[in-house]
Amino acid sequence: MRFEEQILMELKAEMTARAERRHRTRRRLFTGAAVAGLAAVTAIAVPLLTGSEQPAYAVAENADGTINVQLNEFRDADKLERDLERLKVPADITYLKPGKSCEGNRGKIVGGASPEEWEGSASDKAVRLRPGKGFTIDPRHVGTGQTLVMAFTERTGGAAEAAKPAVQWQLAAYVVEGQVKPCVVVDDPLWDDADRPGRPSPASS
Amino acid sequence: MHRKRAEIATDQVAFEAFYRRHVDAITLFLARRVEDPHTVADLVAEVFLAVLDSARTYQPGLGPELAWLYGVARNTLSSERRRAFKESRLTNRVGGRRVLDTDDLARLEERIDAERSAREVFKAMADLSERERAVLELVVVDQLTVTEAAIALGIRPGTAKVRLHRARRKLQALPLVMEGAPG
Repeated sequence: MRFEEQILMELKAEMTARAERRHRTRRRLFTGAAVAGLAAVTAIAVPLLTGSEQPAYAVAENADGTINVQLNEFRDADKLERDLERLKVPADITYLKPGKSCEGNRGKIVGGASPEEWEGSASDKAVRLRPGKGFTIDPRHVGTGQTLVMAFTERTGGAAEAAKPAVQWQLAAYVVEGQVKPCVVVDDPLWDDADRPGRPSPASS
Repeated sequence: MHRKRAEIATDQVAFEAFYRRHVDAITLFLARRVEDPHTVADLVAEVFLAVLDSARTYQPGLGPELAWLYGVARNTLSSERRRAFKESRLTNRVGGRRVLDTDDLARLEERIDAERSAREVFKAMADLSERERAVLELVVVDQLTVTEAAIALGIRPGTAKVRLHRARRKLQALPLVMEGAPG
C-alpha cells in the first residue's frame, strides 16, 4: 500500500476512535430513528450501592421545587412512582438488566423530533444527573397530561473500577405527551461494553 | 455553521476528499523543508492529524483551503521540530520510524530531490527575521499569493506585503531567491 493510503487509513481509524470517545464522555445518544422521530437518551453512569441495609431509594424535595432522587437498589419501582406522583410528577420507571433497553419510542416524546428540537426541550431539562449522587427532577418541565419516562439500565463496573461501587446505572429519560406505551424489553443496539470485560449475558428483567 | 466548519474532522467522506485534494501539495511542502523521506512521511501524517485537531478554526469563506492548510503544516512542522516528533499519535511506526516500502521511498526521494533548490533558498534565508522569513517562504517557495500567505500566517495582507518587501530587499543580492518568484 502506498504510504499516502496507509496514512489515510490510520487517520480514519483515529477519527473513529475520537467519535467513540466523544460518545462516551457526552452520552446523549439519539436512538429509535427506525421508529417515527428520534428518542433521546441521556445516559451517564452513576454509582448504585448494593448489598446495603438502606432503602431502595431516597427522595428529597428541594426548596426550589426540584426533587432529588438517590437510587440504592433496583427494586420498588412502583413505590417510587407513587412517591413521585405525590410530589406532582407522573412518572414511569423501568429497571433494566445490562445491555437491555425499551423498544422504540414509547409515546409522543416532547422535543423528540430532532437533535435540534431536543436541545433545551422539556425532555432535555426534566432530569439532571448528579454523578455519584443520583439525579434531580424538575417538575416544572412535566406538564399536565405528560409523563416523565425513565428507564434505568444497570452497568457492571470493570476491574479498573473495583474500588468504586460495583453496580452502576445509566438513564434514558424523556417526557411523553399523553399515553405511555409499556416497555418492551429488547437488546440495546447502542450498548457499548467494549471497555468492560465480560459482557453480561442477556437476561430480561 | 460550526457543524459545517468542523465537517472535515468528523465526516470521513469529507475528510478523505480533503486529504486526497491536498496530500501531494503537503508532501511537496514538507519535501522542500525536510530531507529525510521517513520524516517527510511522518510529517504528512502529523499535519493531517493536526487538521483533525484544528478543523474548527477553518472558515471556508476566508480563503483557499490550501492557504489554511499550509498554516497548519507550518505550525505542525515547528512544533514537531521542537519535540523532535518522538511520539506520534498514530500507529504505523516501527522503532519510531514510519514503515515505507521501496516504492514509497523512491517516490519520496524523487520529490525531495526535486525540491533541492527550494531547500537552498531556505539556507539563504536563514539570516532573515522569523516573521519576514515566514512570508517569503510561503510566497517564493510555496508559491502562495501574498493574501494567501497572510491567511496561512493569520496576519493582515498589508502586514504580509510589508514583511515580504523588507525580506526581498535584504536578499537582493541572492538571485536564487528571486528565481521563480511570482510577480
